[in-house]
Amino acid sequence: MIHFMIFLPLLGSLLLLITPVRWREEVAGFFAAVTLGLGLAIWRAGGADLFSINWVPSLGITYSVALDGVSLTLALVTAFMTLIAILYASRRVANPGTMLALVLAMETGLLGIFAARDLILFYVFFEDALLPALLMLAIYGKAHRMRALVKFAAYTLFGSLLMLVSIIGIKSLGGSPTFALVDLVANPVTGPAQTWLYLGFLTAMAVKLPLWPLHAWLPDFHEQNHDSGVPDLMGTLYKVGGYGIFRFGITLFPDASEELRPILMGLAAFTALYAAWIAFRQTNWKRLLAYAGLSHMGFVALGLFSLNETAVIGSMYLLAFQNVYTGALFLAVGMLQERIGSLDTRVGGVMNQAGALGGLTMALWFASIAVPGFAGFVGEFSILLGAYQVQPWIAFVAGLTTIAAAVYALSAFQTTFWQGRPLGGVRVPDLHSTEWLVLGLPLAVALLFGVYSAPALNLIQPAVRTVLAALGGN
Amino acid sequence: MLQIPDVALAPMLPILIVLAGAIASTVLGFNLPRRALTIINLVMLVLSGVSMMTLWNSGATAFGGGLQADNAAILLGLTILVGSIMTLLVSLDTAYRARVSFPEFDAMLMYAITGTLLIAFSGDLIVMLIGLEIMSLSGYVLATLQASRRAEESGLKYFLLGAVGSAILIYGIAFVYGATGSLSYAGIAAKASGLTPANVGILVGGALLLLAGFAFKVALAPFHQWTPDVYSGAPTSVSLFLSTVVKVAAFAGMLRVFGGALADAPGWASVLQILTAATLIIGNTAALLQRNFKRMLAYSAVAHTGFLAMCLLGTPQAGGAALGYYLLVYTLMTAAALAVVAALQRDELGMEIDDLRGLYYRHPAYAVALAVCLASLAGLPPFAGFFGKYLAFQAAFQNGYVWISVLAALTSVAALIYYLRPGMLMFMPDRTPAREYPNGQRTPTNFAVVLGVLGVTVLGILPNIWYGWVQNPAIWQFLAGR
Repeated sequence: MIHFMIFLPLLGSLLLLITPVRWREEVAGFFAAVTLGLGLAIWRAGGADLFSINWVPSLGITYSVALDGVSLTLALVTAFMTLIAILYASRRVANPGTMLALVLAMETGLLGIFAARDLILFYVFFEDALLPALLMLAIYGKAHRMRALVKFAAYTLFGSLLMLVSIIGIKSLGGSPTFALVDLVANPVTGPAQTWLYLGFLTAMAVKLPLWPLHAWLPDFHEQNHDSGVPDLMGTLYKVGGYGIFRFGITLFPDASEELRPILMGLAAFTALYAAWIAFRQTNWKRLLAYAGLSHMGFVALGLFSLNETAVIGSMYLLAFQNVYTGALFLAVGMLQERIGSLDTRVGGVMNQAGALGGLTMALWFASIAVPGFAGFVGEFSILLGAYQVQPWIAFVAGLTTIAAAVYALSAFQTTFWQGRPLGGVRVPDLHSTEWLVLGLPLAVALLFGVYSAPALNLIQPAVRTVLAALGGN
Repeated sequence: MLQIPDVALAPMLPILIVLAGAIASTVLGFNLPRRALTIINLVMLVLSGVSMMTLWNSGATAFGGGLQADNAAILLGLTILVGSIMTLLVSLDTAYRARVSFPEFDAMLMYAITGTLLIAFSGDLIVMLIGLEIMSLSGYVLATLQASRRAEESGLKYFLLGAVGSAILIYGIAFVYGATGSLSYAGIAAKASGLTPANVGILVGGALLLLAGFAFKVALAPFHQWTPDVYSGAPTSVSLFLSTVVKVAAFAGMLRVFGGALADAPGWASVLQILTAATLIIGNTAALLQRNFKRMLAYSAVAHTGFLAMCLLGTPQAGGAALGYYLLVYTLMTAAALAVVAALQRDELGMEIDDLRGLYYRHPAYAVALAVCLASLAGLPPFAGFFGKYLAFQAAFQNGYVWISVLAALTSVAALIYYLRPGMLMFMPDRTPAREYPNGQRTPTNFAVVLGVLGVTVLGILPNIWYGWVQNPAIWQFLAGR
């Protein structure tokens, strides 16, 4: 079942190429829905256990996949948000066949990243998700997309090739027979070599988190992408750095993680605050959301690097659910752009004519700035709680971010949706048909997991405990 | 099935079949049209491949080890044949447009292939040198064959620098012979470890001269300067041949000499790592600056020389396997990319990178194929180029050249950028008139492109199909022969 879940979207994406144009939306939606259904079925069955066969035996590369705990949570959120993306793309994009195919192809890469339990397999899926993201930007991007493309690809590859070298190093220096995670854990690398290898691995993950100073691709990527926000949503789902550090980083480099803890926590807290500060100055909604997302990712990183159980649980929780509301916000911005033809944050008065759009956007913004009652609060609060026990001052600095977040979020919302509608502005139609679902469903999820976090915590908590238990005592 | 009359003939058969094709092209050229000859030659190449496969695991030798058809030779020989077949297929469509459609083209090509196979099958330095010279001389003619100033310039450059390279190589052979008193790889390998200090100096000098000579042939910096001019000046089907088959053969020679004969000799590895590093840096950064797509591919061939040379830095067992895999993948992806260029170019200058804008909306299949090749050249999974790169990194890393693998990782980022630009431009909508040759899509070229793209994809998803054959360390342990 797990293999179906991973590769069904790719199959769907290839089938889309030969599907008659008029049925493409339905077929894409069908495949996304079945994938989500398979995910839910795996969840009901209590996760998918490790499945491992040799892929390239002579090189020790295995095809090892499992979906449990954190992976399953993230995979479910990915499948859910992909369905939402397809729902919106079908309505918004004219002749959306290519985009739908790319979205589905990317979903396979993302699910594979979460399922992989072999480092080379992880790398392969990690790069697989890159190609559709690049193509979406190339086909649907705006005037200056070439710069954004080059930045995005160069940063990603810079990180991942260094990661490839350290992957080779882990097996070669540790003497593990295969690249499967279980074997690598059993044959650890020790001493200073571990720190160097961790730095190589970390570069890739820091690019994809993203973490200051490797974040510069992010705002351009979002700004130059298609107005609908669908590629931005997929890009948000692609921020898998936090997961990579959790699954492979902490497990394979326990000593280095502890050694570098204060530095990395400092970087993470700085990223969170710095991004929030910059977000305040943005006048383009996409750039604003990009920096807001970066700020969340600073939180995720802070929790992870602190190696404190509460904080790590919180950061996995935040990582999973920020996809929901940040992604939905990108789509909301897409709807705004469709109505007023601009992504500027200083339009004014949209609320008067499109009350539902304004209301739902505001609710999603509240989720994003971690107002209690939304999923974001559970995550951010646990992170700060846990990080405080490790490095109180760094946690304090990061805590300032929550104030900054309220400032950038509310000021942008105010200048766009409130204030007067400029004279002569076109009439703004309110939400209709599937747009209600596109914004409503993610909001419902964010709300549900804000007040009733048990289902997600039951998945995340044991997984985090297992990983941290290997560290010894923390 | 051919009846093999003599035991010693069996290991020569693959080469003789190709030679027969060359002679047939020379003689029958008076009576038959070129297309017929090309088809005969394609059949010959396939037959040669079949006869190679019958030699698998036989370890047959001829002339007292001067020619050895061991598994390494067969694997490299098959790679050479794949590249040659793709060249012939492309030339079926484009030779006429390039004004090189006469029998001599085929004859020269087949002579060159004979030489390349001789290098792969060589068991001593003289056989290797003869093969190298046959290959190079035919290569000079091929590069000059088109009646145009650019082709003449390219051919003359190739000849002058290639002749210098050969001279240095021969000088190196003389030194090695002087130090060890042997010309056969096995003899050199046996004597290399127990030499008097005076002879060690001569051996190191000989090894370095050999390295410089080979560096000319495979285009290792700083001996690469002829490459971009020759590849971009020659007709595209010839560039395809030079950048795949000839390079594979030159690497086969290097593997034989440095992985086999001189495996235990001191000195050359530390120089090779510097050449590799220089090639990685120069090839990749120079490719970044190119505006012409064909010329960019020429620089990318230089850059790939750097990645391929990393395999030689590994132990012969790991490095040979990596090289065996990478060379086939490199041949497939480079040949397919150049085949698309050959089909779509208006003239032999190739295309400007900007001309590729919107290609996906005019020639969707070629655009996707080219994108796959570029992704594979950039080393993105799930295409085979990724595993090639991975194996090269691993070979160098495991033998202690960590800094080379880190440098290769960093220069790969530059590589990604120059592959990404054309790759992405093709998918950007465009309203200007098409700038490519409208009638380029022909069956033989399509066949070559499909072969390359399918190969790259299948070998990327299931690398074991080819790597399973090349991975056996025993193949690469006795490169010098026993």
